[in-house]
Amino acid sequence: MNKTGRDALPFILPLLFFITIFIFLPVIGTFWNSLWQDVAFIPKKFIGIANYSRLFLDNKFWQSTLFTLIFPGFSVLLEMIFGMFIALTLNEALKFRGLLRGIAIIPWAIPTVIGARIWQLIYRYDYGLANYLLGIIGITRINWLGTPAGAFFCLVLADVWRTTPFVAIILLAGLQVIPNELYEQAKVDGAGPVRRFFYITLPLLRPIIIVALIFRTIDALRVFDLIYVITGGGPGGATTSLSVYGYRFFLSGDFGYGSAISVILFLFALIIALLFIKIGRFQKVSI
Amino acid sequence: MRREKEAVIFTKLGVVFLLFFCLIPFLWMLIISFNERSDFLLNRKIVLTLKNYLDIISVHNLHFLSFLKNSMIVAGLSAVLSTMVASLAAYAVSRIKFSGRFIFIIGVLGLSMFPQICIVGYLYKFMSRLGWINTYPGLLLPYIAWSLPLGLWIMLSYFSQIPKELDEAAMVDGASRFQILTRVILPVALPGFFSTMLLLFIFSFNEFLFALMLTTDYHARTVPVGIALFQGLHGEIPWGYIMSASTVSCLPVILIALIFQKQIIQGLTRGAVKQ
Repeated sequence: MNKTGRDALPFILPLLFFITIFIFLPVIGTFWNSLWQDVAFIPKKFIGIANYSRLFLDNKFWQSTLFTLIFPGFSVLLEMIFGMFIALTLNEALKFRGLLRGIAIIPWAIPTVIGARIWQLIYRYDYGLANYLLGIIGITRINWLGTPAGAFFCLVLADVWRTTPFVAIILLAGLQVIPNELYEQAKVDGAGPVRRFFYITLPLLRPIIIVALIFRTIDALRVFDLIYVITGGGPGGATTSLSVYGYRFFLSGDFGYGSAISVILFLFALIIALLFIKIGRFQKVSI
Repeated sequence: MRREKEAVIFTKLGVVFLLFFCLIPFLWMLIISFNERSDFLLNRKIVLTLKNYLDIISVHNLHFLSFLKNSMIVAGLSAVLSTMVASLAAYAVSRIKFSGRFIFIIGVLGLSMFPQICIVGYLYKFMSRLGWINTYPGLLLPYIAWSLPLGLWIMLSYFSQIPKELDEAAMVDGASRFQILTRVILPVALPGFFSTMLLLFIFSFNEFLFALMLTTDYHARTVPVGIALFQGLHGEIPWGYIMSASTVSCLPVILIALIFQKQIIQGLTRGAVKQ
């Protein structure tokens, strides 16, 4: 290592220490554990890919995989639409803009578990707010969390509520660097607000939309807290994400199988990240 | 500048949507927390009370105050320490041209994309072996590590904006690299340091899966886990307690969000947008 390299080492060493011991090592350990039969009270045994062949025949695993891949699709799409709406609003010269921005980040800033508890109560069949409001306009009660589709929709809505502010704030940062002259010029040329949005705002925002997409998709892929609180993975396992499914095996002491499920989720995250990065590069080339 | 009618209507709609969308669930939390019965929508009998708040503070075996204390200590320490560690690394990356810098940054950022479930199983075994399950260090150390990618990213964006002439002048005066960081760079980047700390506090305060796996009772259990596992004596869900505990726990975060919204948004967008 050259001299400047030696200079840098003491500064990055503490970070490397923490990250190696508490993130990197555990991930390697999870890969390694997934090759073992590691159940409570029985001696550990190396079984190669047997955990993975068990996954292959496990219907609940396939159900969780399906949920894990569909959930981000719905929730991220809605977050992008609502997030854009809020970002466009906050970008206007408003009174109390600071206060509004503060309010907008609250759902994101509070613990996910608290938001989940609030939504769980709102969705309650007997005395939840959602059914009460439906009752006012004369619609019969819906068993929100009792059907697979209802529970799925409820989780998406809670996730959208929690993370739309994050998306809005990232998009807002992008909106603020678009030069105002572009809009003025377009106005002179007779373009209305809708045309200006589709011909100026959206194309210029593309790189930032991709960043927000990466962050949000990967985050939604590992969804855990919301499901743990609101549905517990039910009804009938319909809303069990791979994180929740893997956690169940850790909880019951089957570390080998839990690790194998975690590895699969890891691979999904990796593939999707690489896909997005590839799309992002294409963008740069075309601009 | 004349503003178009449609744009004005759109903005007004947006404000109304924003307020309803963000605030109604919170209003509901407040209403339930001040009601004697959480099922008041059924019998339309509203009895306001402070009992839920008094109970979660005074009834000892609910342990809410312990949860709050644990959360404050662990998230507070994690925020301070991880911001410091991240600053050190961010200094090296922004000022010292060592080989492998790019791989280093991309690698660290990549780590933050890992699903937590890939870490927590092994971490549980690791901490059991050390005897650190249900202790502060058992939570604090993984929290610091887990906060570092975000911390490094944000601090890096602040540091790279400070003109390099500042350090060069100090270097000529014979200051060591560490002195340059603490006496020249950090004072200039203090607002950035502060906003990173706030963000990382929120980040750790909200964390759930590690805390769920690595704690067993009120000695180290944090607020999110406490609220997720709150259960009544007869297995019913004590909504009044949950909502009053949630209100109390949200209060510091909401205050931070409203007072420091500028710093938080700046930190967030620097981390995310500067790519």
